[in-house]
Amino acid sequence: MTTYPVLRTVHLLCGVFAVPALLMYGVSAVQMSHSAWFRMKPVVTESVSSAGIGMVDGRQVTEETMAKQGFRGEIESVKETPAGFAVRVVVPGTVREIAYERTSGLVRVRTSVSGVMGMLNRLHHAAGVRREYLPLRLWGALMAVVALAIIGLGVTGIWMWWLRKQERTWGLILLGANLAYGVTLLWLIRAGGV
Amino acid sequence: MTAVIRTIHIYAGLLTFVQLIVYGIAGLAAAYYGGFVRPQTPESVHYIPFTVPASATDKQVARLVYDTLNPAMARPVPDWFLQRTPDNHLRLDFYNINGIHRVVVLEKEGRLRVEEIRNNLALFLEDIHAATPGDDESPTLVKFWEWWNEGAMWTLLGFCLTGLWLWLAARPRDVAAWALLALGAGALVALWSVFR
Repeated sequence: MTTYPVLRTVHLLCGVFAVPALLMYGVSAVQMSHSAWFRMKPVVTESVSSAGIGMVDGRQVTEETMAKQGFRGEIESVKETPAGFAVRVVVPGTVREIAYERTSGLVRVRTSVSGVMGMLNRLHHAAGVRREYLPLRLWGALMAVVALAIIGLGVTGIWMWWLRKQERTWGLILLGANLAYGVTLLWLIRAGGV
Repeated sequence: MTAVIRTIHIYAGLLTFVQLIVYGIAGLAAAYYGGFVRPQTPESVHYIPFTVPASATDKQVARLVYDTLNPAMARPVPDWFLQRTPDNHLRLDFYNINGIHRVVVLEKEGRLRVEEIRNNLALFLEDIHAATPGDDESPTLVKFWEWWNEGAMWTLLGFCLTGLWLWLAARPRDVAAWALLALGAGALVALWSVFR
């Protein structure tokens, strides 16, 4: 049984590291599954500023506006419009839609800020390490480490349960039912074709 | 009390083991793919004879194509998602959990070009982990997964809370555990405040 104390320590360390993120994912999953239970309306504000007339580079206009108005985020899209540009700048929980008018040089910024549940929802979806905005890259890296800790939690948990023996019979029934149901269902869905 | 909570924790863990692994892989897949990059290259292409009825609208053609092909685990393309190819053929993307069943209506040739774009396993697990009973129109098989996922969601929350109890009951002065909790929670709070 020398393995057991080591597994127990690894299980604990994986668990305590992952638990804040697991709770964040769990609570936001409840919000997504039961959206009617929560008020998700964001607070919307608008502001107008001016940039140069006849600008041709949407990204440059956006970066200047971000510097002038003191906000940061990832430039998600820059689209040409008949009047100028439409740009989306996002961080989890906050979306800024920027509209630039080439003839007047006016920049309108529409800011939507989510409440706590909206923020949790967006954090649940924020993933990926190949991001432009450094804090989003860091978030993606942190969540990748959390994902490894979750897998570690599962593997050490199963291993410990097997070594403990006390709950083996009922555990085998539960795990067997869980595996049979889950794997069969995943296989059937996957085999369902495109 | 702790013995009962330990039993609950173990059984909750065994009941959600598959989901825990699926969520872990989904997290790694999301980190790699970023949730945005999706395959667009077809795995296979085939053609099916199809005659577009005279004076039919795009919406009517889309419905007729859906009824003709009855693509597996996909719903009809919504009106706002009807698209045109650069050479002005009607393009219909029937999304499902495994990828895209892309159909291009070649009206003058009297046939449909059908492309199968398949998500890899990691992307499939990323998508399936997010399936919840909130979606009223999902296919029956996916519905079975969704209800199971819903159960796992609540069980996992219980698994977290009982795990915290067991830690504090058994090893409340474990410095490494407190340090890792502080690291995990601190990183979350720090990034939350940066995003706010």
